[in-house]
Amino acid sequence: MKAHKIFAWLAIAIGAIYFFVPLIGTFEFSLRMRRGIYSFDAYQSVFTDAQFRATFGFSMLMALVTIIVGMLLIVPTAYWVRLRLPQMRQVVEFITLLPLVIPAIVIVFGYLRLYNSSSWIPFTGSTQGTNVLLTFSYVTLALPYMYRSVDTAMRTIDVRTLTEAAEILGAKWPTIMFRCIFPNVMSGVLSGAFITFAIVMGEFTMAALLNRPAFGPYLQLVGANKAYEPSALAVIAFAITWLSMGLIQLVSRFSKLTPSRP
Amino acid sequence: MSFLVLDSLKKSFGQTQVVKDFNMSIEKGEFVSFLGPSGCGKTTVLRMIAGFEAPSDGAISINGRNQNTLKTNQRNIGMVFQAYALFPNMNVFDNVAFGLKVAGKSKPEIETRVKEMLNLIGLDHLADRYPYQMSGGQQQRVALARALAPKPQVLLLDEPLSALDAKIRVSLREEIRQIQRQLGITTVFVTHDQEEALSISDRIVVMNAGRADQIGTPSEIYNRPTTRFVASFVGTLNIIEATVIDPAANTVKVGENTIRLRESIGALKGGDKLSIALRPEAGSLLENAKGDTSLTGQVISSHFLGSVIRTKLEVGGNQISFDMFNSPDAVLPQPGETLTLRFNAHDFLIVRD
Repeated sequence: MKAHKIFAWLAIAIGAIYFFVPLIGTFEFSLRMRRGIYSFDAYQSVFTDAQFRATFGFSMLMALVTIIVGMLLIVPTAYWVRLRLPQMRQVVEFITLLPLVIPAIVIVFGYLRLYNSSSWIPFTGSTQGTNVLLTFSYVTLALPYMYRSVDTAMRTIDVRTLTEAAEILGAKWPTIMFRCIFPNVMSGVLSGAFITFAIVMGEFTMAALLNRPAFGPYLQLVGANKAYEPSALAVIAFAITWLSMGLIQLVSRFSKLTPSRP
Repeated sequence: MSFLVLDSLKKSFGQTQVVKDFNMSIEKGEFVSFLGPSGCGKTTVLRMIAGFEAPSDGAISINGRNQNTLKTNQRNIGMVFQAYALFPNMNVFDNVAFGLKVAGKSKPEIETRVKEMLNLIGLDHLADRYPYQMSGGQQQRVALARALAPKPQVLLLDEPLSALDAKIRVSLREEIRQIQRQLGITTVFVTHDQEEALSISDRIVVMNAGRADQIGTPSEIYNRPTTRFVASFVGTLNIIEATVIDPAANTVKVGENTIRLRESIGALKGGDKLSIALRPEAGSLLENAKGDTSLTGQVISSHFLGSVIRTKLEVGGNQISFDMFNSPDAVLPQPGETLTLRFNAHDFLIVRD
């Protein structure tokens, strides 16, 4: 074997150890709740906790709403930028990247200042209002990933010609959008949706500072007060992320929507 | 009154005027091709008819109705795109049915019309296929069926054969022409391929720099080009620089050869320069060839091209190419050899800029 190949394998091995050893350690520790033997008691304790179910359910619901709101915002935006405003592409890309460089805590403090109960738009004045604000903040956090996955999917189809083909056949904008464009960028939409799901399920800052009963703050709470359950929750959180990533792979691999191109 | 009228159409993008005062009247059921090089404005005119671009000035009317104020989806026009543009998420049936569904037709009506269209293009057995499961030629046929299904008043074809391989192009263009004749639909075809335009059109519009240089039948365009651009763009043409000898007698000189032209040379005086054109296939080297005129010159080169032999002659500072059909006993003219090319004087065209 040549030297550079050995170094390549060595690099992979170091990377794998760096990634897997803590994970295996966490998993192994999560099984040690019963003294002397391995058991799933920590997992049982987590799953039977009413607070776990409530926060997990809340975050799931928030993720779902975030995905819907996000896609309704991003798919038409990406579509219009590609079709009518290509000169705005750089600007939109820059805006969608902002949540990566502005810390979540800064964003949420901005929200609290703008939308507190004594402001003109008092989102935080009611529970529903705060939930709406939390959804918007999740959409903001997911923006870089959602926009990119949708935009990449749009790149694989000839948006302009498909739009013109539908238009000349008599279609109006809603038909073009929902019957010709949306189904053809579904792989991107789903990829964005799964990433958003993973982000929302693990998000702490926004939910904690807006004081909502989400899964992120619950993870922190359990971590601060219990011994084995935090490890079990960490493994569960990893499993959710991996499941989302696996589904992204599955969607892109089995996507039948190969573009028709010469 | 003509069916499709393009009246003084103009289109500018910023400071660039891409279509300059374009006028054209197309009769019902006519097949008209817009022919020209890239950037000549042919696709822009087509896109204005479709409603994708708004004219900067001028009017478009179909069947007497002004189209300028109508949106694309209100014009009832069918269009086939170069890139097929089939909806990837729909199978062949749904693609063809799309326009009918949008128009709110009933289910049995849609089914009957789609079957009729698929039968017309000979792909009724592929109704369940998705675009990615079909060849380019099949996809383009489906695109044609989709465009025709809602019974449009005008069919626009935007270089529909450009993405296909040579054999399919020939068979599909014949199929398109046959279907167009069968349905009697007014059709505008955009192409940069002169052979395509010459072979299937009732009339051709040769476009140059945003204007129609010449509008005529394929025969008129090929045999009687009226401008230097048309002459050089359509087919191969020898442009020969001649000197006027006697304007009254229409005689000109090319090298040592004197030619009496059939066409009037107009207001030119003796000694003036004049461009005349000759098709490579117009002349013959045979001693007994028919023809009232001849040009004698020296052979520069001669190439065997299979069905024809192409020879280049030098005559009075002009290089003249001519083709003769190959035969088993044909002998290739040798460079330096002196040859006499015989042809009819009416084969010469006076080229005006």
